[in-house]
Amino acid sequence: MLRTNPRRNRCFALRAAVLALGLCAAGLRAQDVRPIAFTNARILTISGAPIERGTLVVRNGKIVAVGADVAAPAGARIVDCEGGTLMPGLVSAHSRAGLVSPPPTFSVEAGPRRGGRRGQGTPPPDSGARGVQNSAATKVAERLDPKQEVFGELLRAGITTLALTPPGDGFPGFGAVLKPDGTTLEALVVDDDAFVFLGMQRDARVKKALKDGFEAANKAVAARKAPKEAPKPEAKAADGSKPGGEAKPAEAPKPSDPQPPPEPPKPEPPKPDQPKPEQPKPEQPKPQEPPKADDKKPEGAPTADKAQGPKPEDKKDPNIEVLADLIEGKHKAIVQLNSAADLLHWLHAGGKDLTFSRTICTESFDTQAGAFDLVIDELKAMKAAVLVPPDLSVRPRSRYVVNPVRSLHDAGIEVGFVLGDSPARVRTLFFRLMEQVRAGLPRDVALRGVTLVPSKALGLESQCGTLEAGKKANLLLFSSDPLDPTSELRSVWLEGRKIESDTQAR
Amino acid sequence: MRLPILASLVALLLLSPDLTAQRRGRFNRGGQGEGGGSPAAEQPAAPQATDGKPKKHTAITGGDVYLGTGQRITGATVLIGDDKILAVGHKIELPEGTTVIDAKGKTVCPGFVCVYGAGMGQGRGTPWIDSCNPFDPEIKQGLAAGVTSFLAGAPRGGNSPAGDAAVVKLAWGKVEDMVLQEGTVLGMNAQLPAGEREKFRDLVKQAKEHRRAQEDFLAKKSEDPTAKPPKAPAGTEKILDILSGKSKLWLQLGGGGFNPFGGGRTGAGSDLDAIRSAMQIAAELGTGVVLVKPLSAWLCADEIAATDSMVILSPRDRVPADPADPDRTGSNLASAALCNQAGIPLAVTCPVGMFGGAGVGTNGLLGMDLNTPTVDAAFAVRGGMTSSQALRTLTLDAAKILGVDHRIGSLEAGKDADILILDGDPMHYRTFVEVAIVNGRVVYELANEPLYSRIHR
Repeated sequence: MLRTNPRRNRCFALRAAVLALGLCAAGLRAQDVRPIAFTNARILTISGAPIERGTLVVRNGKIVAVGADVAAPAGARIVDCEGGTLMPGLVSAHSRAGLVSPPPTFSVEAGPRRGGRRGQGTPPPDSGARGVQNSAATKVAERLDPKQEVFGELLRAGITTLALTPPGDGFPGFGAVLKPDGTTLEALVVDDDAFVFLGMQRDARVKKALKDGFEAANKAVAARKAPKEAPKPEAKAADGSKPGGEAKPAEAPKPSDPQPPPEPPKPEPPKPDQPKPEQPKPEQPKPQEPPKADDKKPEGAPTADKAQGPKPEDKKDPNIEVLADLIEGKHKAIVQLNSAADLLHWLHAGGKDLTFSRTICTESFDTQAGAFDLVIDELKAMKAAVLVPPDLSVRPRSRYVVNPVRSLHDAGIEVGFVLGDSPARVRTLFFRLMEQVRAGLPRDVALRGVTLVPSKALGLESQCGTLEAGKKANLLLFSSDPLDPTSELRSVWLEGRKIESDTQAR
Repeated sequence: MRLPILASLVALLLLSPDLTAQRRGRFNRGGQGEGGGSPAAEQPAAPQATDGKPKKHTAITGGDVYLGTGQRITGATVLIGDDKILAVGHKIELPEGTTVIDAKGKTVCPGFVCVYGAGMGQGRGTPWIDSCNPFDPEIKQGLAAGVTSFLAGAPRGGNSPAGDAAVVKLAWGKVEDMVLQEGTVLGMNAQLPAGEREKFRDLVKQAKEHRRAQEDFLAKKSEDPTAKPPKAPAGTEKILDILSGKSKLWLQLGGGGFNPFGGGRTGAGSDLDAIRSAMQIAAELGTGVVLVKPLSAWLCADEIAATDSMVILSPRDRVPADPADPDRTGSNLASAALCNQAGIPLAVTCPVGMFGGAGVGTNGLLGMDLNTPTVDAAFAVRGGMTSSQALRTLTLDAAKILGVDHRIGSLEAGKDADILILDGDPMHYRTFVEVAIVNGRVVYELANEPLYSRIHR
């Protein structure tokens, strides 16, 4: 769920200047105002059947018409696709590209092999030393270096919507959605609170953090629902309106830090609110996420604001408020579960009762702790889409190749793909998709898994993921079918702007 | 050439009459949910079996059932309700909808309990359940070897009882079932420095006084509801656990053992002094202790048995005798049998030490001795133990040593349904596990496993 971000307008003059510069640049490029018509193309709309020979019209960065009998509007710039194939740009819903510190702890090859044999009596290293404090209200976008080559490389490899995931376990914060052609934070980050990321490890401390966090959040939800005396919501509203006025991406490190840890789990009323946590209470117009108000300190005087001391209603832990919003259905979540064992632990840690909108993702198939095909029943019961790597797996200690992706799909679970962090891996994505198709995954599922499914995970299905009128003109133009091994990615179009592909043989 | 020995062992087994077991079987006739014969264990059977009707019934029929207590019933039925054993015996009425596993011509026995183990999905310390790995491939490997439970994080020595060991179950695919119990075993050195020894004695005294005070309080409470419970003196918590039977105290005897870097052995081929210290501790506590790999237990087996203590041995750890005193030093295969004949509950384990040992796997031989737990018991048989007793060292007696014999170790009504179906005698080296059941769930089937199903015999 993308929300218009109120803290964009911090320094008006600066923004105006940037805008002016941008307009100049656009003026120099000149052609951008004309509509573009992609003609003579085979169009994989993803939303429906492929159009064997059709035209796609783009205006102002958006698709305005797609079809076999659509005519190019007068004065349009014609892009003759010469029988090539158009498909939506790739959507990467889980990536840690460009996040340098702290270093990502995940890699496909060197997955932690927990519970494996480490020799008699020597327990495996404890991962609990890594912080599992609740920092759900922090944002990965705040620690981002925007001037990194990798975003452009990913874009040229075909990723037009890139979600960044904060590294860490437990509640490491909000993930961000990037428009990968930007070189400033403002141009790059489209949505800095696109989803709440939850990182799971089978580890006592992580599990405790999750349990405590959600227990406190459930309490907060119950407190919100309880009718309150009049003055409080007003005070909150006043507070909430502040960031609307002038806010900035608070690069203040984790507003949560000075906060006391979430109250220890108290014998709360055994979740009377559990049955339908999605439904936000209509009474008292929620003053647009009071927690947000907290982490967007006015730019001028963040310290002064802090010095004022916590106002009575500021006592709330912003991290817990974020989780309460999540339970109330105001955010989406992506839950990383790296193995079947981790999934069982997630359920064991209370994940069974969590029914908010969430997508599950896994970065690799861990044969030492079970690939997802071992927990299909549990996954079905969770009723969530699953993002998995486009890889085959093996039964442990054997050469039996299995395809967990296909097993999940056959069981009726919606599957999407984790595209990977490195441009090199993304450039070879379609070869892995071909392998998937050869191993029994239907073609359309494979293509949907790199476009529509991840866009749904980010709540962006109304903006990208398919080729339909009204969506962003994020396009990939291939020389032939993308799942044909001889096919080349000729060009990438980001909101109607052409970006030369670097995978084309020269 | 070993055939005659084995044949005679098998014959011995077949011939030994088993009247008590037969009786138990008849007692339990139709006794679904009633828990007919109570388990041999002192602790009451877990209550789950009796209250509430089990949802799912499974029966293993027609097998040659080894109870794990040293007894055997041929052609018997084992009836399982959910995760517990409901009845073992002949002519058991099966409730409607029972899943029947035909074990005709097969052997049925309790899952093996290993007093040492590593890997196999174990977690990383207390709370073990939060980091266990129920999809560890080693779990299947362990089940293939017949292991259904083992002690993870076995305690070491120290000057006071300590340790965070847990009995882990090989419950493939179920987090909730992976840890049977935590804190059942504490470790300490048998020989303490003088000051520490004094301290320990004092703490035991305080703990006993506290227990008396607690009893008084409970008696008083019924009359005077305002009575305050006594507070446990600092430092006695673990000792109280031992006194109440919640934890078993494992005493490390040190010295005298095999040290590969010490030129073969340290000590003089005898740890009699340490055993005597351990017996003193046992006498002070008034509960039995567990002697970890005593060298000279065979010399004083009666004394050990008199204190209700138990012994962990690895029969193939042989220590040469001191030439100056050959009758009272050293240890060999016969040690286990001698202890057993004196009536000491005994667990057999593989050598565990510098290079590991109690693990499973396919990566070579070193440290993979848990792949063949019965072979270690066979060493004890070679030393004179009967085959049925040897099975006990891997089942009921091992469970006693872990302090969980009220839950596992034998096929008796009320206990956890951890059961193996084997294609032959449990102690035979050719025998393979065909089906392993943990907590009433089939978690291993030979036919579906990539490794052992490929071995053609």
